Amino acid sequence: MGIISIAKLDNLYWLGRYTERVYTTVRRFYGIFDDLIEEEEGAYHVYCERLNIPNIYTSNEDFVEKYTFGKDNPDSLYSNMSRAYDNAVVLREELSSRVLCYIQLALDVFESHKAGDSPLLKLQSVLDDILAFWGGVDDYVISEDCRNIMKCGKYVERLDLYIRLSYHTRDIEKEFSKLTNRINKTHMYYNIEALDKLSDMINKKENWKEDYKEALGYLSQVIEVR
Amino acid sequence: MNELVKHTESINRLLARYGVKFGIYKNNEFHEQLFPFDAIPRVIEHEDFLLLEKGLIQRVNALNMFLKDIYGEKQIIKDGVIPEEFVFSSPGYLPECEGICPPKGVYSHVSGIDLVQAKDKTWYILEDNLRIPSGASYPLIARDLCRRAVPRTFKNTSIVDNRNYGKMLGRMLDSVNVGGIKVIMTPGRYNAAYFEHSYLAEKSGSELAVNTDLFVEKNYLYHKDYLGNKQKVGVLYRRISDEYLDPMTFEQDSLIGIPNLMDVYRAGNVALVNAPGNGVADDKGIYYFVPKMIEYYLDEKPILKNAPTYLPFYEEDRKYVLDNLHKLVVKDVAEAGGYGVIFGSDLSEEKLEELRQLIIRESRRFIAQEVIDFLDLDILEDGEAVPRKADLRAFVLSSGDKTEVWPSGLTRFSRNPDSFVVNSSQGGGFKDTWVLSQ
Repeated sequence: MGIISIAKLDNLYWLGRYTERVYTTVRRFYGIFDDLIEEEEGAYHVYCERLNIPNIYTSNEDFVEKYTFGKDNPDSLYSNMSRAYDNAVVLREELSSRVLCYIQLALDVFESHKAGDSPLLKLQSVLDDILAFWGGVDDYVISEDCRNIMKCGKYVERLDLYIRLSYHTRDIEKEFSKLTNRINKTHMYYNIEALDKLSDMINKKENWKEDYKEALGYLSQVIEVR
Repeated sequence: MNELVKHTESINRLLARYGVKFGIYKNNEFHEQLFPFDAIPRVIEHEDFLLLEKGLIQRVNALNMFLKDIYGEKQIIKDGVIPEEFVFSSPGYLPECEGICPPKGVYSHVSGIDLVQAKDKTWYILEDNLRIPSGASYPLIARDLCRRAVPRTFKNTSIVDNRNYGKMLGRMLDSVNVGGIKVIMTPGRYNAAYFEHSYLAEKSGSELAVNTDLFVEKNYLYHKDYLGNKQKVGVLYRRISDEYLDPMTFEQDSLIGIPNLMDVYRAGNVALVNAPGNGVADDKGIYYFVPKMIEYYLDEKPILKNAPTYLPFYEEDRKYVLDNLHKLVVKDVAEAGGYGVIFGSDLSEEKLEELRQLIIRESRRFIAQEVIDFLDLDILEDGEAVPRKADLRAFVLSSGDKTEVWPSGLTRFSRNPDSFVVNSSQGGGFKDTWVLSQ
């Protein structure tokens, strides 16, 4: 065992990205959910705009339901978790059954959701499962290459979301540093020029948040996996 | 055992956690379904298993000799034991495999033999699956979970540990390996048995690959990684059907095969597990002749019995079948998975007549069997034990050096009290199979 084919490289990378997308957006959603309790209808539109997802929601309540557990909404947390699962399920021998099961468990939380369930209480289990998954990756995934590729996906996604959602520059610097440390260990081809330009933008610190789309453009060019 | 039964729900939850599922297509859509586990095991006594083991090894050895003969000398046909019509008209017979002798002369490396036990405890062979039989992974993982649930039961009962299947499979693959890595090839995650493919790769220490990971160069098969490095493949446990294996030889439209794989195989540069062309030996029509094969090749009396079977192809059998259709089960030889099975007792007089006419017109297409009065096994339904029809798929592994029976098997049962069809694709469930060591 241990050969990483092109298809598996793709699965590992996107497993890292989708798992992180669910993790960070669930955490972010906690704050949004709280805000929506008092805020006026439609307060979620800035969030949709920042994430570049279509605002298909008709009310705060509609947003809370469809953005989290909407099975037919391609941008919902549920759909993103399904994509994480699609990538994970073909990696049983790389991940091992005992690690893969945490992705299955996280997906099961979405699949078992019923009208009337409290979204936030259920989503806590999703966060727990994802954290357990990454703990399992560190403990049980033998191939260092596999771990590095997954983590590159994870940090690219985290940076993407942090930049979109205007996280503090300090947090972005920290994640950028994790990505650059990791990317050299993967033996993957990556775009050094794009990485340098992104680094420059982050290091300048002033005004770059206004140019976040340019930063996202560089980030998207760093690793080009399907 | 009662202790174990209490944990049925928890074990099923754990099976779901580990993704123990099978895929099914309904209305052109792919769905994954859990395979319901019943914790009441099938128990096979030690003496009973010894007999089964002996009979299964005998049968699989004869089937392997038959395959070698059919794609070689064809002596069994020349000697008039099996009519050639049954061999060469079989959809499983592949002229492209003529003259190919696989590494170590093994054709059926993994054989899934389906049996039922009648009420008088006699075992009957229902069918031989020599192409890509699936199902070993389910009792394999279930046993692991059952041992966690009730360790004392396993300590106090003499149950043969069945968790060595991955190692047995790995050893068998190594034994026919012609030099290179061992790979399990899957059509992909939308295949009905994808869980099994991935689980067996994990347990046997094989690479799991799809066709795009593999390529042929200068008559060798290679696996390539994301950096472009390639490694020679010495044995390919392919879990895709013969017709899709190589678009240059078989189905030209196949998108899941490996172009020119058959050339590599023909040159002896890779072992294919199981060998292409095995379908000729597990054809439902050929099944009738297996006891004759055993006598012909091994000069032994068959240890295990076939279910009483009639071939409408023969005039005498056809007359019996047409006269007794109402009490027989008729099987279309081209179908599998529980499809194409018709119980005469379920048909109206009009439908029976239609079937009679069809059998007269296409006598080679069908076999007919007496309905065996299965020994029912208890399953748990709403907390109560109820009897249901069940079969056993035994797994027999053949390497270059020996043939061995996995001391366990997949016991499948029908959840419908009126049905004999146990296939997972038709709503059945499964049990663990305990073989007692004394």
